[in-house]
Amino acid sequence: MHTGVSGELLKIEHLSFAYEKDEQVLNDINFVAHDGESIGIIGANGIGKSTLMKLLVGLNLNYKGTLEVAGHSVNKKNLNHVREHIGYVFQDSDSQLFLSTIEDDVAFGPQNYGLSDEEVEKRVAEALEKVHITELRKKHTYKLSGGEKKLASIATILAMEPDIIIMDEPSIALDPRNRKNLIKILNEIKSLKLITSHDLDFIMDTCERTVLLDDGHIIADGPSTDILSNEALLTRHGLELPLRLQK
Amino acid sequence: MNSIEKNINELNKLQNLQQRSHWMNELHPLGKLLLSVLYIFIVVSFDKYKVVPLIVMSVYPFFGFIAGELSFKEGIYRMRLILPLVLFVGIFNPFFDKQIVGMIGSVPVTGGVLSMFTVMLKGFYSVLAVYILIATTSIDDICYALRILHLPKVLAIVILLIYRYFGIMAIEADRIMTAYKLRAPHQNGIHYKAWGTLVGQWLLRSMDRAENVYESMLLRGFTGDFRIRKKKVRIADILYPIIWLLAFAFVRYSGFFG
Repeated sequence: MHTGVSGELLKIEHLSFAYEKDEQVLNDINFVAHDGESIGIIGANGIGKSTLMKLLVGLNLNYKGTLEVAGHSVNKKNLNHVREHIGYVFQDSDSQLFLSTIEDDVAFGPQNYGLSDEEVEKRVAEALEKVHITELRKKHTYKLSGGEKKLASIATILAMEPDIIIMDEPSIALDPRNRKNLIKILNEIKSLKLITSHDLDFIMDTCERTVLLDDGHIIADGPSTDILSNEALLTRHGLELPLRLQK
Repeated sequence: MNSIEKNINELNKLQNLQQRSHWMNELHPLGKLLLSVLYIFIVVSFDKYKVVPLIVMSVYPFFGFIAGELSFKEGIYRMRLILPLVLFVGIFNPFFDKQIVGMIGSVPVTGGVLSMFTVMLKGFYSVLAVYILIATTSIDDICYALRILHLPKVLAIVILLIYRYFGIMAIEADRIMTAYKLRAPHQNGIHYKAWGTLVGQWLLRSMDRAENVYESMLLRGFTGDFRIRKKKVRIADILYPIIWLLAFAFVRYSGFFG
């Protein structure tokens, strides 16, 4: 829930994580993110982007190092506080939407935080308005197109008014028009955004800062325009220039 | 369309009915649930030889189908798995109860035949009443009504999640079957050697999907209870079940219909 926390919203220090003892997925990650920033997390398949995101929301607590969300350390005791500040948009929208209608699904989060019916109603209306799908409010979730599902998924998170929004591959399986629409909507959202994607053009359009991960380490962290135009760097770490920069 | 797709389609059609903007859908779920349960109780409480009042009790399902704009044909089709069982229950009665209780023209009617007919009617009406309930009330609303009746929240959540996961498992099964068939076009069905792997894959994938759904719930503050928005009770929500219950009581206890 938006708490008015500003400044340093996310602090990661010496973060390491392994699913198995000998399989280090993340290794000594250091990273700070501030209110209002939009950060792209890029890297080849299987280098731990999704794992990092899941650690941030406390879906896995067996990490080493420091992980703080809006001043709360991510641990079992603080999970509720942490999750009040952070929203996670899943890669697969079908996993995100599990109730009958869009309005029920969008209302699910605010209701769980014990908000009054009037406040829930207000949040639902605002969230749907922000992603421009007010007219789909009563529609059944299984009847939506891929693009509508993605927007509805984002609305479910916006209704909780989080300080931080994490999105896992948001542009995947979207047609060009829906992709363009999503870029516009994401740029209108003012919360801190962390977006993982292989779609580097999408990252260019939505993030002013990019973090490149490889082999469990942060390889580069800086302005998107610098990192995403560095062909040698991207190639070295299994990526390619965004399409618009390719000759 | 394969059989799994057909079933998913059927489920979707039922959900479409539940989401319609229709006055019967908008009635309070508690009233509809209680009405359905009481209707079934009253119907099954009739004496096994009381055919006439039982026939009169068909007014409720008929009204439900007509006023609710539900297709009788589709209703019967969706209940096709249960109906044979219901009709089968009384099939042996004529062999045990051979006492003649009346005549139709010159044909003697035994108690067994009458009781078979009433048992079948009772089962048939009960199935129709349940269908009317589920065609006009979403599973979320039914669970909401059950929670008002103090059903333990764990049970309400289990019902909701089973319903949700049933759909997920069906979709996963459909994907696996489609992928298999596309690469085995000349094969009729699935080869027995592939069954173990496919079922294993299906369970693993379904568990994966189910885990994602659960994580998505946790991340939105789910702590073990569904907080569904309270529904306002209108006069129609109270009058509708009361009028029906009075009518049922009249048929059952007045003796007007024999």
